[in-house]
Amino acid sequence: MAPAKFDGMKDDDMVEIHSNLGREKHPPTKGFLVAPLIFVFGCLIFVCSIQLAHSTNSFQVHPPQEIVELTEEEKEALRLERKLDSGKKIFTSKCASCHQPNGLGIATQYPPLAGSEWVSANPELITKIILKGLKGEITVKGEKYGTSPAANMVAVPINDREIANVSTYVRNAWGNSASEVFESDVADIRTNTAGQNEQWIGEALQSEYLSGASTE
Amino acid sequence: MKFTAEQIIDKSAKWVISFFIASAGLWLLAAALLAYCAAAKLTDPFFLSTFEFFTYGKVKIAQANAFVYGWGGNSIFAVSIWIIARLAQAELRGRFLLIASGIIWNVGITLGLLGILDGHMNAHEMLEMPREIWPLLFISYSVIASFIIVTHRSRSKHETIAPQWFILASLLWFPALFIIAWNGLEINPARGTLQAVLSMWFGQSLIWLWLTPFALGVAYYLIPAITGRPIDKYYLAIFGFWCIALLAPWSVVHHLEGGPVPMWIPAIGTVMSIAMIFPIAVASTNFHATAFKDIDIVWNNLPLRFVIFGTLSYTISSYIGVVFSLPAVAKLTQFSIINEFHFNQRVYGFFSMIVFGAVYHMLPRVTGKDIPVGAKSFHFWTSALGVLMLLLAYLIGGLTHGVLAQQPSLDWASSVIASIRPYFLITQIAFVILGLSQLVFVINIWKVLFPNPFQFLNNSSNDSAKNAVA
Repeated sequence: MAPAKFDGMKDDDMVEIHSNLGREKHPPTKGFLVAPLIFVFGCLIFVCSIQLAHSTNSFQVHPPQEIVELTEEEKEALRLERKLDSGKKIFTSKCASCHQPNGLGIATQYPPLAGSEWVSANPELITKIILKGLKGEITVKGEKYGTSPAANMVAVPINDREIANVSTYVRNAWGNSASEVFESDVADIRTNTAGQNEQWIGEALQSEYLSGASTE
Repeated sequence: MKFTAEQIIDKSAKWVISFFIASAGLWLLAAALLAYCAAAKLTDPFFLSTFEFFTYGKVKIAQANAFVYGWGGNSIFAVSIWIIARLAQAELRGRFLLIASGIIWNVGITLGLLGILDGHMNAHEMLEMPREIWPLLFISYSVIASFIIVTHRSRSKHETIAPQWFILASLLWFPALFIIAWNGLEINPARGTLQAVLSMWFGQSLIWLWLTPFALGVAYYLIPAITGRPIDKYYLAIFGFWCIALLAPWSVVHHLEGGPVPMWIPAIGTVMSIAMIFPIAVASTNFHATAFKDIDIVWNNLPLRFVIFGTLSYTISSYIGVVFSLPAVAKLTQFSIINEFHFNQRVYGFFSMIVFGAVYHMLPRVTGKDIPVGAKSFHFWTSALGVLMLLLAYLIGGLTHGVLAQQPSLDWASSVIASIRPYFLITQIAFVILGLSQLVFVINIWKVLFPNPFQFLNNSSNDSAKNAVA
């Protein structure tokens, strides 16, 4: 051992002494008690393991998605809500320019949809009109429409599902309350009327579907 | 006159060490200036605001790079050349190439910092210097590190001791980190989150695997060299060494706590940070059990006082760092100025203090000239005061910041910013004190290295100046 002098240790001695220290075999109890040390290290490793088990999320990239079980009614409500949302979007982009976002139409030009007997009648009626369009004079809520050819409605080029969605929306918006329109029914009507290229005539449809109503 | 083995080694390394220490000193001053600018901008946003080169983002980054690569790199070269040569009892090899690569290294950093200030920044932590600079730095670093390893390979004794492991490991780990990060960020850029993780990992590992092991190695050398006592419980040192090697690169990722990364990354980081208690405890036991047997030497010997300040600061704030890595605490401190506490503690409170001690121990032996005790003592006390002020301001300010930022009802500007502004003012004062102390340090070492810088102007005193240099 080098003497503890103020002028320190020479480098040569330092290498020599520490190499010897490194070679020396140390009984594990030398210097401190082994039991508390093992206890402390053990506790640390235990705490680390708990921390890992709690916070690594099983080494997955994303946290797990919560799985929600829905009842049949909830599923049905969710389906209808989505259908109405989709219908609203289609209405806004395809129909609202004439029939107005509030469904009231424009007096003497475009008939209203809110509270209209045409809308809440047999779902075939609204489907047929969307599929092929409409011309000629009609009576809606006691008012005459379609007197000028400029107000004729042309066919709306959208598919069966979209027709079902938008009709369902119209039949249930602004205080209307009528049955849901289904995609399969729309498809049937489309095949049945496949040969027709003309718009529907207003009077014909009116007498076919609304004759029972007291519109006169 | 017959020279001792040590004097021959010192003579062989004199010019290389002088070069690196002199340039390290200049970088230290540059970093101090930039640090003051950055701190002043936080208290007064209009400070230097008319200069495009000195926006906060650029100055802050330039300061970190000047400090780590300029001051850190050069002083690591100087001190490891000397300690490795001394412990190997071998003369320094490749002096000419060392100085040439040293010039390239410094020119590279100068260009890199100009690039940062010019806006050609690279968006990766601690790799911000423009990407064209890096091959230059890497090659010059490799040459310097190779010659230090060549010197070590020609050692007289086969066995190696703790300071050699730590210093050589830090010399090798920097290029290893760099190659991994450069490959993953520039050559084959990783996609998505991984790039951010890699960039952050490099920035933090640089401190933990380059600056830290080097400073620990220097402490392992200086404490026995000055006190004359062998390291106490030396058999633990090898355990501490491998713990740092294995745990540190894992532990740094705890800084990503709460970030948009897979949850296991910060979780592993936290666990490894807790496990870092082992190497911290080992180093602390080794250093302090040895040094505090002779409290008089610690107090009276200035280099040792610097080193012990550094090791104490390392121990205390590493334990604080472990606490801050726990998720419950990290939630508060994650996005506060406490991050500044960690960086400044590492580079000012720990690394720089130990390097100051090493330089004060080394220079009189290399040049044969003493530094006045008063100047060294002034440097120590101003450094200690500056570091303590800086770290306490960042620590307390960071906690205030973190706690207040958790309360969404508080108005950000009038409550949160207003309550941490005084701490920014304290850091600004601390940076002035640190700048002053670093100026004293640089004057101290330059006066020893170049005692008569204007001798070429004064031919009559030529002879005496020549004698002084030789």
